[in-house]
Amino acid sequence: MKSLKNHISLIIPLFAILFALEFYFIVDKAIHYYESKLSKDYSIIVVANKKLSIEEMRVYEPDIASLQELDSSLVIKRLKASGIEVDYNELRNFLPKFYKISLRSFPSSQKLIQLRNKLLKVEGIKRVETFTKVHEKIYRFLLFLKNISKLFLMIIFVTSIMLVFKQIEIWNLEHSERMYIMALFGAPLWMRTAMLIKLSVIDTFISSLLVYALYSYFINSGYLMELLGVEQLGVSTSDLIKDAFWLFALGLVISLFNVLVVSIRQPKTV
Amino acid sequence: MAKNVIIAKDLYLEYKKDTPIIRDSTFSIKSGSFVFITGPSGSGKSTLLKSFYGELSPKKGILQIGGVSLVDIKSSKLAFLRKYLGIIFQDYKLIKEWTVKKNVMLPLLIAGYSKSVCEAQTARLLKHVRLSGKEDYYPLELSGGEQQRVAMARALAHNPVIILADEPTGNLDEYSSRVIWGLLEGANEQLGTTVVVVTHSIPSNLKVPYKHFYIEEGKIYEIS
Repeated sequence: MKSLKNHISLIIPLFAILFALEFYFIVDKAIHYYESKLSKDYSIIVVANKKLSIEEMRVYEPDIASLQELDSSLVIKRLKASGIEVDYNELRNFLPKFYKISLRSFPSSQKLIQLRNKLLKVEGIKRVETFTKVHEKIYRFLLFLKNISKLFLMIIFVTSIMLVFKQIEIWNLEHSERMYIMALFGAPLWMRTAMLIKLSVIDTFISSLLVYALYSYFINSGYLMELLGVEQLGVSTSDLIKDAFWLFALGLVISLFNVLVVSIRQPKTV
Repeated sequence: MAKNVIIAKDLYLEYKKDTPIIRDSTFSIKSGSFVFITGPSGSGKSTLLKSFYGELSPKKGILQIGGVSLVDIKSSKLAFLRKYLGIIFQDYKLIKEWTVKKNVMLPLLIAGYSKSVCEAQTARLLKHVRLSGKEDYYPLELSGGEQQRVAMARALAHNPVIILADEPTGNLDEYSSRVIWGLLEGANEQLGTTVVVVTHSIPSNLKVPYKHFYIEEGKIYEIS
């Protein structure tokens, strides 16, 4: 019973820290997923009076993912629909070339201005349309989400520190007398802390496994998507397994730090 | 001619700065001897014993145990030295979460003995201290006398070179006291273990020859 209590008293704070951290990882991945999706949907229109090549464009901006020439007949079709009376065959010869540029990542507003200026320096480019207003709205919202998740991480960090110190106090009360008596009989540090190290490894493993199992269930059942109000998270089972290893390593660092502090804070007399 | 196992020269011990508990004391204890340290309450008997097992480092002078200096001793060296000591405390200092058996095994485990040796030695010692059958009890399930007998068994488990005992029979019944003194005498006589006992009164029926140090006002005097 006492042993179970010992395990639970470490598993609960560790689980809380790792659960919150994994939540941050998932939200961060979901944001990145939507960011890359947005960058695929987002494009810049360039008007040029000569043929452009992607290699030439990448010299100016390596982040360019694709360059696609737009069919000029679409422009003619639009003009026809608006009822303007011109010789369309003649006009076709005078029309400039229209290009759609996609980027590898969703750019910031600042980067977009820089990109526009760079593109305007390319020989033959007459006009660059970045749809700044629409971009600005999406970008600000994305920035808001990123900042919220960073704030969440900060809260987790502060809470974790508090939980860690609480755990140190508990362990100090529970184990300092035993460790002190062992030291009186010449036990080396590893022997005095062996029990706590064993406890740390087992409990960190259990906590990481619990976090993995819970998130695996939440994602596979669609509960997390429903909770976050998104259609897809962009998080796979292999991502969760990879995260579980990181969480185990991090949990181990936290609990071994506790062991270290407790062993240093041994009293001179009991 | 027996060698000196404990040597103190101009020993100065203090808890607070410039408030000496023991000062300018010079004495030595021969290997295989039985020594009593007596003195009034608060005279520094337990403090002196603490300095022998490195709990309190001398501020001035020389203090050597088995040739090892205890002045500014490194923790690794102290841990090594303590493996050769058997300490009995007035308040027993048993590990409450451990069974009687595991408590007695502690010095053997530290010394690196195999499990079978630990088991056999523990069983033998518990029989000596009349606690056979109570191996799986926890210290708080035992009486004060029984707890001190467990502490005694623990101190003897690894056949220490020196036994340091602080009021080992202070609050014990006559039966437990007799068992404790008998074991201390036995270790001294049969194994040649040096025994240093801090006490208020020396038992009258002791069979072994002994040395007597008296502490008063911070100074240590050899009485006999």
